[in-house]
Amino acid sequence: MISRPMIAAILTSTAAVASAAAGPLQVTSSVMVEARSAAPDGTTRVTLVKPSRVTPGDKVIFILAYRNTGAQPLADVVLDNPLPRQIAYRAANPGSPAPDVSVDGKTFGSLATLRVRSPDGGTRAANPNDVTSVRWRLASPIPAGAQGQFAFQAVLK
Amino acid sequence: MHAKGVIRTLMAGTAAVVSFGTASAQTAPGPAGTAAGTTITNTAQASYTVNGVQQSATSNVATFVVDLKANLTVAPLGGNTPVSIGETDAVLKFTVTNNTNGTQDFILSPIQSLLGGVFAGDNFDVDNIRIIVDSDGDNLYTAADTATYINELPADQTRTVFIVANVPAEQAASLATVTLVAQIAAGGDVTRQGDALVSNGLAANRDGVVDVVFADNDSGFGDLAFNGYGRATLAYEITTRNVDLSIAKSSTVISDPVSGITLPKAIPGAIVRYCLIVRNATTLTPARNVNLTDLIPANTTYEANSITVGGIALGDECVLDGLPLSDAGGTVLPVSGITGSYDATARQVRVTIPTVTSLLPVAASFRVKIN
Repeated sequence: MISRPMIAAILTSTAAVASAAAGPLQVTSSVMVEARSAAPDGTTRVTLVKPSRVTPGDKVIFILAYRNTGAQPLADVVLDNPLPRQIAYRAANPGSPAPDVSVDGKTFGSLATLRVRSPDGGTRAANPNDVTSVRWRLASPIPAGAQGQFAFQAVLK
Repeated sequence: MHAKGVIRTLMAGTAAVVSFGTASAQTAPGPAGTAAGTTITNTAQASYTVNGVQQSATSNVATFVVDLKANLTVAPLGGNTPVSIGETDAVLKFTVTNNTNGTQDFILSPIQSLLGGVFAGDNFDVDNIRIIVDSDGDNLYTAADTATYINELPADQTRTVFIVANVPAEQAASLATVTLVAQIAAGGDVTRQGDALVSNGLAANRDGVVDVVFADNDSGFGDLAFNGYGRATLAYEITTRNVDLSIAKSSTVISDPVSGITLPKAIPGAIVRYCLIVRNATTLTPARNVNLTDLIPANTTYEANSITVGGIALGDECVLDGLPLSDAGGTVLPVSGITGSYDATARQVRVTIPTVTSLLPVAASFRVKIN
């Protein structure tokens, strides 16, 4: 009931913000999949490639890259990635700090601290499939010109 | 609800609205997964402060298109079908489940004389084999069911498929295995059977296009994994069959009061042996529970306790009596289980033979005296 008009409104609003975003913080979202190939030394090399062929159950990797294009440091930076509905969170990508996750879009924390309301009225421990949003807070300001990235693994439902 | 204000004040809340909004808008995908062709879009938001002033930013929209994971399950519904020789429109039942993340057609075909069936004892083929899709979901083959392919089956849905065939009038028949083969075909056109899917698994990357990736298992003899086919096998089992049973009756005068046993004549007081020979001309199929009933001829008197079974026959005539059965019916012959009795009221001789095979005719005899 709330859904469709609300989504439309939010999508247009984000689009509006994006086009107006001459702001100093640039955030780039990308989706990749792993491609495995045999390396000459006999090991398997995993590289990230564009998601040209993804079917349900496949692992996808979401990458958030950020860059301070301004002249001043940016403080209190929070990167927030609501998960697409068809995506189930799995874990932080190796090499990326673990995000705080949320099962309701409001309360963020480590997965172990979150609980989900079950149909019988009680609650249960949250599992990765319950995650609806992931978030990173940067502890220190981003200096001018600095950049970095976060990544997490998920599967297509 | 205007853009900037909302984004600024509800930075974290925006995410919540998006995820809840979409979750309630559509139901979660079934086991087959997110529908092929769905565009997955991802957008991140950021908030930060510059010199204490709250700012926000939104990322680009990253997207990809969900490809088609083609998969199916073909399974027998119930077991083998018991049939009789010459039966028409005998039905085997199967189910075909669409495990693809899209609506598909399924091309159906039967296979007989599969090598796999030989090991199960397959020894004949059925005739006029047809494949019919159950139209109303009642799992019963009726005249209303006419479709020969599965049309537009949604993801995670199952359809019942009948194999309908005639059993030949062939006495040696015992088991006919039939394999139903289903192949995933393109959906989208309700008016016709779609073309069989072709995997793009080895094709070059195609962005923004729905590729086809086969995910099916090897479902049995003759199938391979990841080929877009599924199969299951059931059999017609002959459980009722006719046998070619014949009875020959003959009589021999054994003695008469004048000549004794030397060239006896059928004169009053002579003893006559009646001989019944039961033969089963159908090889490999025994006749069960054969009942012989014979009325004592007029003007003769039954000789008490003269019923014998298992005598030696020459042609259609008994030359030697077999094992005696009591008139009261209490005698059960060992191994063969043959029983018999004499009903004095109805003047009938009765013999019951549990099994008559083609290898061994059974002779029964009794005697009467000519009045």
